[in-house]
Amino acid sequence: MTLTMLYSLLPILIIAFGCVLSLLLIAWRRSQHLILFFTLAILTSALIASLLMQFDVSQAVQVTLLLKVDGYGHFAFILVLLASIAVSLLSSRWLQNSIEVHDEYFVLLQLVVLGAGIIVMSDHFGALFLGFELLSIALVGLVGYCKVSQYSVESSFKYLILSATASSFMLLGIAFIYSQTGVLSFNVINEQISYGVFYQAGLLLFLVGIAFKLSLAPFHFWTPDVYQGSPTPVTLLLASVSKVAMFVVLMKCWFSQLALFAVVPKGAGIFFIMGLLAVLSMLVGNVLALKQQNVKRLLAYSSIAHMGYLLIVLMIIAPQSISLAWQSALFYLSAYVLATVSIFMALQLTQNNDELMGEINEWQGLFWRSRMLALLIIVAILSLAGIPLTMGFIGKFYLLNLAVEAQQWWLIAALIIGSGIGLFYYLRIIFVLFLTEKNVNVEQIKWLNNMSFFHRTTIFVLTFMGVFLGVFPDSLALVLTLL
Amino acid sequence: MSVIPLEHILILASILFVIGFVGVIVRKNTLYILMSLEVMLNAVGVAFIGAGSVWQQADGQVMFILILTLAAAEVAVGLALLLQMQTRFKSLDIDLLSKLKG
Repeated sequence: MTLTMLYSLLPILIIAFGCVLSLLLIAWRRSQHLILFFTLAILTSALIASLLMQFDVSQAVQVTLLLKVDGYGHFAFILVLLASIAVSLLSSRWLQNSIEVHDEYFVLLQLVVLGAGIIVMSDHFGALFLGFELLSIALVGLVGYCKVSQYSVESSFKYLILSATASSFMLLGIAFIYSQTGVLSFNVINEQISYGVFYQAGLLLFLVGIAFKLSLAPFHFWTPDVYQGSPTPVTLLLASVSKVAMFVVLMKCWFSQLALFAVVPKGAGIFFIMGLLAVLSMLVGNVLALKQQNVKRLLAYSSIAHMGYLLIVLMIIAPQSISLAWQSALFYLSAYVLATVSIFMALQLTQNNDELMGEINEWQGLFWRSRMLALLIIVAILSLAGIPLTMGFIGKFYLLNLAVEAQQWWLIAALIIGSGIGLFYYLRIIFVLFLTEKNVNVEQIKWLNNMSFFHRTTIFVLTFMGVFLGVFPDSLALVLTLL
Repeated sequence: MSVIPLEHILILASILFVIGFVGVIVRKNTLYILMSLEVMLNAVGVAFIGAGSVWQQADGQVMFILILTLAAAEVAVGLALLLQMQTRFKSLDIDLLSKLKG
């Protein structure tokens, strides 16, 4: 452990330290506001630390065997931190309504962030496993946190069983790969090893485990139920932090094995399976989203489709386009996270009490009641749908570019068909916003008129970011080329 | 004493894993589902230990210890949920948990 290593790990260390300090803080004084501000302070200082880091992939620091800190990992961690700051801001409002003091909630939140940090920096199956479990088990606690909700037991049990099954699949895959290669690091290139049937089975099982967590098509059944059953801030956490972390580690692992697929003659099979997963997710996600009445369920299906689109970046074969693939994936993920955070912010602010279940109809006529919130929703929805002048469009453009380069015509066809179907349900939400309302919810109107200055600023900043990065995507793309 | 080939260990681990997985899918009682999850994790442990001993490395055993820790943590959370389920539904039938639809 040299000083450089410690310095490059600083953001993760801050979070890890924060978890311990929060426990001490709880022992000293139990206060909702204190722990909230402490969590925000920890997350913000980790954010500042990772922003100060040198963005340079050539200076990737290998921290022991387990972790490798590089520019891509840092960027992904910054996304994770921004999303979790949004989550803690949202939770503050949700937790205020209850009488109990909920300080464990924030400790669990920090543990999730720590797990995500370890995952995005990992370079070893052991580190991946540790981060994965830290993330999953803390998330199970968070999903079932709202004990009064009638769905809490069901959604957290479903999430527990499915994530435990997924991690067993992933572990069996790792065991098989290890049994054939003898190394647990991601990048193993050893010509003497026979990459036989067990190696391929291992790779397949590993992919199944990751696909469960990313909710790719044949493994997506848990997603809508868990999204709907968990509290809104936790759903945001599931949709942003866990997805970003899992996708980044999948890319890291995949690209380090890429040289291997070229060597092994049967490597084409794994590309075929990946393509199949991508096409299935795009079509299934978009088609099932059509009939949803609940905003959270709709977003769950749309996230399945978005992860399907993202899989395109894994289809490249030429090693020289790996950096382009990273740029596209990180751009797309930033667009996805920004849009998701915006929508969930709006959802949480309109759900002022527990009676509202987050049906789309509750947003009916929202434009006439709160222009700012409606504008935020419109910008986010257009970005998810991929309309020009939004970030989502640029992200899809990147993906199409990559797909053409890799000559994956089936994937391009599925992407276009999927986006076409997607427009239908995305635009329905916007349509609902402009309808005149039938049943006026007096309490909601009162709450929307009394929104605090703080919430107004957040809404404004999110809307501004969505528009600005859509009109000037170069500002983010330039940063990504520097990584 | 003859050496056990690696393939046999991996096949044994796969069979145990499949038994556990079938248990998770078929069982209706949530307690048995948690137990089947343990079987799956321990099957993975067998594979890791076998692979580690073939390569003469400690890595396999280290991973096994990590898996044991995971299994304990998972069961702790699982049993907490189980207790909550028992107090709420007075039953451990998994089919009671199917309210979310859409």
